[in-house]
Amino acid sequence: MKRYFGSKRGRSVTTLIVVAAGLSLVVAACGGSGNKESNAGSVVDNPKCGNGNGQKPTGSPIKIGAIATKQPGTDFTDGENAAKAYFDCVNANGGVNGHPIQYIAETEQTDPAQNAALARKLIETEGVVGMAGGFSLIECDVNHSYYESKGVPVLNAGIAPSCWASPNSIPVNMGPRYSSDGAVQAVIRQDVDKIAFDQSNVPGTGYIAAGPKIVADAAGVPISESTDNVPIQDANSVAVRLTQQAGPNGGVILNFTPPEALKILQAAQQQGLEDKVKAWGCSTPCNTDFLAQALGAKWDGKLLVNAELNVTDFDGPDSELYRSVIAKYGQNVTGGLGSFSQMGYLMGEFMTNALETVKGDYTLQSVSEAVFNLKNQETDILCRPWYTGKAPLHIPNNVDWTTTPDSGHMVQKEDCFEISEDEPDIAKVRQIEAADPSLTGGAG
Amino acid sequence: MPSWQEFQPFIVTGLALGGVYALSGAGMVVLYRTTGVLNLAFGAVGAMSALIAWDLINNSLWPEWPSYGVAVLFAAGVTLLYGVLLGPALAKRDALVKATATLGLALILLGTMSWIWSDKARSQVLPTSTHAFDIGTVAVTWTQVISFGLGVVVVFGTAAFLKYTNLGTAMRGLANDREITATLGVPVRWVEAQAWLVSGILSGVSGLLLSDLVGLDAVSLTFLVISSLAAALIAQLRSLVVTFFAALVVGLVSALATPITSISEYRNMAPFVLATIALLWISRKREISFTGTGLGNGRG
Repeated sequence: MKRYFGSKRGRSVTTLIVVAAGLSLVVAACGGSGNKESNAGSVVDNPKCGNGNGQKPTGSPIKIGAIATKQPGTDFTDGENAAKAYFDCVNANGGVNGHPIQYIAETEQTDPAQNAALARKLIETEGVVGMAGGFSLIECDVNHSYYESKGVPVLNAGIAPSCWASPNSIPVNMGPRYSSDGAVQAVIRQDVDKIAFDQSNVPGTGYIAAGPKIVADAAGVPISESTDNVPIQDANSVAVRLTQQAGPNGGVILNFTPPEALKILQAAQQQGLEDKVKAWGCSTPCNTDFLAQALGAKWDGKLLVNAELNVTDFDGPDSELYRSVIAKYGQNVTGGLGSFSQMGYLMGEFMTNALETVKGDYTLQSVSEAVFNLKNQETDILCRPWYTGKAPLHIPNNVDWTTTPDSGHMVQKEDCFEISEDEPDIAKVRQIEAADPSLTGGAG
Repeated sequence: MPSWQEFQPFIVTGLALGGVYALSGAGMVVLYRTTGVLNLAFGAVGAMSALIAWDLINNSLWPEWPSYGVAVLFAAGVTLLYGVLLGPALAKRDALVKATATLGLALILLGTMSWIWSDKARSQVLPTSTHAFDIGTVAVTWTQVISFGLGVVVVFGTAAFLKYTNLGTAMRGLANDREITATLGVPVRWVEAQAWLVSGILSGVSGLLLSDLVGLDAVSLTFLVISSLAAALIAQLRSLVVTFFAALVVGLVSALATPITSISEYRNMAPFVLATIALLWISRKREISFTGTGLGNGRG
């Protein structure tokens, strides 16, 4: 048996494989460096934010703070990074009334004590005068009482239920529950007779699932709800189960992160299941070109995605400014153009708009008052003007698009539509808007 | 309870996954029997090879088959490299230490994948998945057929290889007694290197198949090794044939539990539950004694 060990042939084969493995590593490393999402749509070289005068601000800094989740598997810091990109753009264009914005972005690891400490550190130690750009799994639940006690309005993008149930939390997004509602509404418009709703098995699924059930029940459409552990390890089986649950005239709705939703949709495609139901729907996370590119043409026009924010290549002035700001100042926005950075950009923009209205010193009280007075914030990234106001709860983003894949991009499938008022809190918000139409640009 | 007709597609998906689990399980068993190493990096190596193939195809615009070839070469190379560099140093350490060392490799690869490729949605559709045929009302892709078929071929082919070839005999000799086999003139390190190489190739092939059957993301592919590990444990890390059938059972039970609403949520536990039941059954006639030098197993 010695011939195996000492032969030249044996050594050369081993050497060849080792060299090939090394080459593979090099190739992979080189190829992986270009994975940033390509910028689609027009951009300008020198975006104008705030005053737009190109001057360096000389006043004392205005401190703004934020808290975002950053832990293995969940990185929401693109919200903060995009807000910072907008503030950097403002600072490069004269700042706010001559003052630069100093952004203090904290990260948390879903530790309630850490979240509580960070909020107090920002407001009481750092002395921030406003909060904008936060994007956390639990921060709303942990800190909303503290912010209420301090009278501080927080411009955030939320996940936790408290984000849409506190007088001091004012999100730019509508969150997974209302976005799933929107997907259910879009699928019901396809005249389905049954819905199978599936989502990842994580804390809070009961709160989210209650929304689609309310909407489906109101429409008289039976709905079955299920959860799957993530990462999904048997996507083929999940796809089969969902199409069986929905039936040939039914619809399947997914509320997953893009990679997990992709697994189910791809498995459905491989098994020829995409036409076994009448419609497929998905909540906002699916509204990304990455998903459209990965899915391929078979899903073009077939997958209905609820979109809380506009497609990133939309031809509009604010969308162009967003793309330009990310291109010039968003080096740290690792996800590139997408929902997360759109939310961060909007939070930065709205906070800047509030700061510009402050007369006199920038204090926690003066900035809070300015933020609470924001109304009719027009942007083509949202379906209609955004607002804050003093109210027991805030869901200013409650009108959505439906998008669908088209040749590797997400495009608008349905124009703006209202999330169902069968949702009790949406109904409350509509009453608030009806009482003061100026919030959304109507005659006040 | 779903009808028989509704269960049928899950048999296909279960058999396909079971086939890949068998493929992976065979790689783990052969390596363990030859080197005494339980390779917990098996899934991570497969995951990285699948991502390399995806990257070559989508970013470097390579043709598909050469990309798959490089991916498998990578898996073979990195596994062999680990075995050649660290295998001898760890040869006389406890099995737990050896397994933990491979966990280190898995974590390094996971970190590398996270660094190179973000967690964006990606898909890898093998050319064999673009064609399907129907068995009754169930659509079956060629990837599913290949997954099952490859599991059969590799398991039984490896069993025959171990039985009828010189290298196979040497591997079996090492499995029985490393010292005695070495004194008989068997080039231990060379034989072990072959085992690492085969294991690496199987991890690369498994990674590619699972990236199509399950999805292309580093974490889920890395931890799919648990299902293969369960099959290998049921076979007591000895029998390839038992590993094969255990893998099929793991795949089928997981799949067939999916449409049953009351237990669907718990189907991911299937590998653990089956392995636990099997190990309890196997050890039902053993007694644990605390005599002599310490803990030992005595036949009852």
